[in-house]
Amino acid sequence: MRKTSWETLTTKYPALFSTTLLIVALLINLYLQPNMFARETLNSNMRVFLPLVLLAVGQAFVILGGGIDISVGGIVSIVNTILAVYVGLNGSIEKMWIYMIVSLFVGALCGAINGFFIAILRLQPIITTYATSFLYVGLALFILPNPGGGIPQSIAEFYRTTTPLGIPLAFYIIAILLVIWRYIRSTQFGSYLYAVGGKAEAAYETAVPVTWIHFSTYVISGLMSAMAGIAITMLSGSGNAEIGSPMTLSAITAVVIGGTALSGGVGGVTGPIMGALTLGIIQNIISFSHINTWWETFVKATIIVIALAAPGLINLFGRRKS
Amino acid sequence: MFKRSLIYIGILITIVSMVLSACAAPTAAPQETTAPATEAPQETTAPATEAVQQTVAVETAAPATEAAQPAAKKFTIGISNPFISSEYRTQMIAELIETNKEYMDKGITNELVIESADTDVAGQIQQLQNLMAKGVDAILVNPGDVNGLNATLEEAVKKGIIVISVDQELNVPGVYNVGIDQKEWAKTSAKWLAEKLGGKGNIVEIEGFPGHPANVARMEGVDEVLANYPDIKVLAKDTGKWDEATGQQVMSNFLAAYPTLDGYWTQDGMAIGALQAVIAANPAKFPVGVGEGRCQFLKLWESVLKDHPDFETIAVANPPGVSPTGLRIAVNMLLGKQVDKTKLGGVNGLSFVIPVPIVITKDNLQEGLNICKDKPDQYLLDGIMSDEEVLNTFFLK
Repeated sequence: MRKTSWETLTTKYPALFSTTLLIVALLINLYLQPNMFARETLNSNMRVFLPLVLLAVGQAFVILGGGIDISVGGIVSIVNTILAVYVGLNGSIEKMWIYMIVSLFVGALCGAINGFFIAILRLQPIITTYATSFLYVGLALFILPNPGGGIPQSIAEFYRTTTPLGIPLAFYIIAILLVIWRYIRSTQFGSYLYAVGGKAEAAYETAVPVTWIHFSTYVISGLMSAMAGIAITMLSGSGNAEIGSPMTLSAITAVVIGGTALSGGVGGVTGPIMGALTLGIIQNIISFSHINTWWETFVKATIIVIALAAPGLINLFGRRKS
Repeated sequence: MFKRSLIYIGILITIVSMVLSACAAPTAAPQETTAPATEAPQETTAPATEAVQQTVAVETAAPATEAAQPAAKKFTIGISNPFISSEYRTQMIAELIETNKEYMDKGITNELVIESADTDVAGQIQQLQNLMAKGVDAILVNPGDVNGLNATLEEAVKKGIIVISVDQELNVPGVYNVGIDQKEWAKTSAKWLAEKLGGKGNIVEIEGFPGHPANVARMEGVDEVLANYPDIKVLAKDTGKWDEATGQQVMSNFLAAYPTLDGYWTQDGMAIGALQAVIAANPAKFPVGVGEGRCQFLKLWESVLKDHPDFETIAVANPPGVSPTGLRIAVNMLLGKQVDKTKLGGVNGLSFVIPVPIVITKDNLQEGLNICKDKPDQYLLDGIMSDEEVLNTFFLK
């Protein structure tokens, strides 16, 4: 019976807790908002959640590798301002494509800058990315000092209203991410990633290219941030150099709720995706449960703290019993 | 490992199939505006903005609000606010609730549906979507971003919801704006400052967030006024980020650099900080400064006058009351009253410009202090138009 204890279960299935949490949150939301699975409602929710999902996936790679990236919001802002300024409200679709590719390149470059400092110069991830986040936000402010600009309405509409086969666009993107993650997990890079995050020194001694793995996690994070930037630009249709900053901590929270330990080497990408969705749904629950306005922030924070603490609490009680 | 990913994909399929079944269930009318009465709360409003009154009465129940529905349909008004922990917003929300009570007592509206929390653009879009999903008849939004909400607000307008942007002007077709004229507001104090200085002297400026639309409009106003006074020299300009402590710090630096400053222009919460910096530096002659319409400032002003009877400042109210005034406008529109379009301004001709309710100078400081007598320090001098005033000013007879 020992073998089926919660602790062994969660090490075996890191997304178990986040899945449970997501389902519970979904059920509560469904109870409070009976029409939440109506196509229009579901789509309008998913299109808002998607940027955070993308950001959480990138963050998950970095955290799995034992680092942390708090410059992601800055990268989102840069991408947002690039699209809003260079594509413009009257831009063509071709222009949008070009600058989307430019954005991905810029995102990867920003990630590479982080990676250079952290993997090659061996600087502290938290301080380094904190510093570079100002670099990126500063650049975004330089590109677009005053909120404004934007992308053509038709492109924003495409993002906002596309539901192939009646399923919101965001689900397809999440499915693609999961497939890619499954593939990565099965490659050598995948096992190296866990090795590096778990015990970098031991990994180093067993000839795992630690520097390279660390470096690549930041590039992946930069790339995902750029995608999140594209998604949020399509959602809002406009530019604002401040748009990304509040998203950074939410992304880290999503990763942790998703069962990926900040110490690295434990977890995956599936959990963080569910974590990001859960955060969004928690906001809905608060909104539909008619909580007094003045308590809203408190209640939301309490739910998040409980969600973060729950696995630890379960483990604690598990140990007491045995 | 393979088994694990199978489980994940299994979960995904479950979710997707739940979605599919949910989509398929409520008959074959998915993108509707008129739907079966049992379904979705978002379809309670009739499409036409003008003649909402009658049609709505026929369309029955708004399930989102639990209140028992009497014969006549009551209106539900939603509020979206992305920024808390500022006295302006706190006062705004409290006044909205209070003003709505009047209409609730008359049986015209339901309890307000308030979405108010510190959040970003995506978060405010979610706020607005949730308001739509709750089937509100009108939305008052204090936008956290000038353009980021446009598409979402247009969606609301298309659903037949009356959308009013309060405090900050938006340029979205179909969205009304209710607020003071930020530029004129800044011009009032700038003009006063220039005249008090006799059109001559050295001043500094402390601005709010650079790039924030209200700040941009205000600084434009100040520049326009000062262009008429070539002998007034702006020695320096810095941001106090609309924050009292930062304002104080910036002003201290200015006073250290320019001890014989003749005057300064600033706005909102930073004005208290600036005045405190002046008091701390205690120059031989206090510069003429711009203040703010907060009780705490008026009290500080009064105490400064005891030692420096020549001290001059001005407080132009920036009233949170524009939001409850906006609520009154929304209610009257819902009741089917016709807006007098000639009274509206703005780019789209959809802006209700609310006059500044009160300006305090040395002459009427006592009047301001009297208002503050039974109010907390953080109370902002305010003005809410009465229902009658709103009707007389903006609506056709």
